[in-house]
Amino acid sequence: MRSGDGTRIRGDRAHAITWLAIIYTLAILFPVLWMATLMIKPEAIMFTRPTVWLFEPTSDHFAFLVNEGFLWHLFSSFIVASASTVLVVIIGTPAAYAFARFPIWRSDDLFIFILATRMAPPVCLMIPFYLIYAKVGLIDTYIGLVLAYLTFNLSFYVWVMRSFCRDLPVELEEAALTAGYPRWQILLRIVFPLIRPGMVAAAVLCFIFAWNEFLYAFMLGGDKVKTLPVSIPELITTQGVRWGEMSVVGIVGLLPVLVTVFFLQKHIVRGLTMGAVKG
Amino acid sequence: MNGAKATAHLELVDVNPERKFWYPYALIAPTMATLVIVSLIPFLYTVYLSLHEAKYGQVKEFIGVDNFVTVLTDLRFWNAMGVAVVFVLIAVPIEFMLGLSGALILNAGVRYRGLLVPLMFIPTMMAPIVVGLLWKIMFAGSWGLLSYNVFERFGILSGTSIFGSPNLALYGIILVDIWQWTPFMMLAFFAGLQSLPTNPYRAAAIDGANPAQIFFRITLPMLSPLLVVIVLLRLIDAFKIFDSIFILTGGGPGDATEAPSILAYKMVFDYWEIGEASALAVLVWLLFFAFCNVFYQLAKKKLHAF
Repeated sequence: MRSGDGTRIRGDRAHAITWLAIIYTLAILFPVLWMATLMIKPEAIMFTRPTVWLFEPTSDHFAFLVNEGFLWHLFSSFIVASASTVLVVIIGTPAAYAFARFPIWRSDDLFIFILATRMAPPVCLMIPFYLIYAKVGLIDTYIGLVLAYLTFNLSFYVWVMRSFCRDLPVELEEAALTAGYPRWQILLRIVFPLIRPGMVAAAVLCFIFAWNEFLYAFMLGGDKVKTLPVSIPELITTQGVRWGEMSVVGIVGLLPVLVTVFFLQKHIVRGLTMGAVKG
Repeated sequence: MNGAKATAHLELVDVNPERKFWYPYALIAPTMATLVIVSLIPFLYTVYLSLHEAKYGQVKEFIGVDNFVTVLTDLRFWNAMGVAVVFVLIAVPIEFMLGLSGALILNAGVRYRGLLVPLMFIPTMMAPIVVGLLWKIMFAGSWGLLSYNVFERFGILSGTSIFGSPNLALYGIILVDIWQWTPFMMLAFFAGLQSLPTNPYRAAAIDGANPAQIFFRITLPMLSPLLVVIVLLRLIDAFKIFDSIFILTGGGPGDATEAPSILAYKMVFDYWEIGEASALAVLVWLLFFAFCNVFYQLAKKKLHAF
């Protein structure tokens, strides 16, 4: 077995490191695991002193959420995050490729412009968004929120993909050009398969950003468009904080992301590193 | 291998005689148009608002830089800046060092990557607002899980609530941020380390270099483009922090954790000082932009790989 720098490592070193990693992971995840137990813990014994570790599980929290229309939140989140990601990929990929490959007038300035849009604190853009949306009636609409998410996701996606495209060897495309293939075919048949890992990595990250986003969803959403993060403050009621329900939202919100990353991790790693480290 | 770098970002030599000049512009047009609509126009509107007297949602008269003066002479603004600077200057370096060390350790030979890596990444994958919640459960007053089991049992910090104490609240927020973002750094750097070429290392082994030399003269320089990108990304995002502070302390106690984003939020939704909030936003953005430029230029000079 070889380590990252090519040297051979003895089994016991790998053994020790792996154990270290396991212990670290468990320690780091302890709060999350605790939160998971709160999903099924009866309210009364949640925060007693001394802490109650073993108990009879309850499904009250789940029932409460389903009654309050929690499944709708899940659905909203999914729509907004997916639509936003798909849009970003369709709009941003050609641009990233173009920035990487073609001489564009003032391309550096344009690129800095793209980065700069991501630099604004969200509140900065939120004020005009809220005011403009209120006037044109885009508050509490899916289109409104998806458009708002384009601000940070599109710039992020183009940023990452441009690096990625830059590091693709240009010879293949040049060869195809010399052979007389039309540009669109080159894009489709040569470039696209090569940049797929990068697209997957960047798209997954965009999805995660949109899925977890709170401020815009809070400000620009309403009764119809309610994403998962927005439901958290809603669970701070006048009768107290509904910790169990919040825990459910938190964990359920985590699961799709976890599963996606788990299954796509090879692509993500390839996608992220090919664009960043030159070798 | 440097030859590959030289050709990799050269533009394509177009052997097709009917060179279509507009081609690249057609490709970037949708992106630029979208960003103009969803970013530039709102930003310009913010600038417009910052130059007018705008309270309670009604825009009144043009008052030039008055809003800016008001904001710059407001102690609360400077407090917010201080909060952000302290936060960023403590959290990000710690995340960086922990992340890099962790990545180096993992790179030295961890197994079961497929399972451990996604699990380690969980804090980063969680919504920041949920993370805030989670730590509230851990540290809240006297009933937080860790507050009770760890603090009281060992007699440290007894009687104080981390997020309720003006001195400790910011450190609590920093801790939460470190918990959430160290995995991000660790895994980004780990992925970077994994993709480094092995030849330099073999050469170094032959030449008898010691681990410190290997790290500082081979690993670090090769990894630095990635390091810069990730750190810059993290710096920008850390400065913009909102969600966790919102749910944990709301900016308090007092204004101990009132980061610029929180202050702007309050100015808009509690005081309805739209003009001044816009001025704040423009100022923060200018600061960012200047800082990122400086950072980027520095990085470009020092690291030739850019």
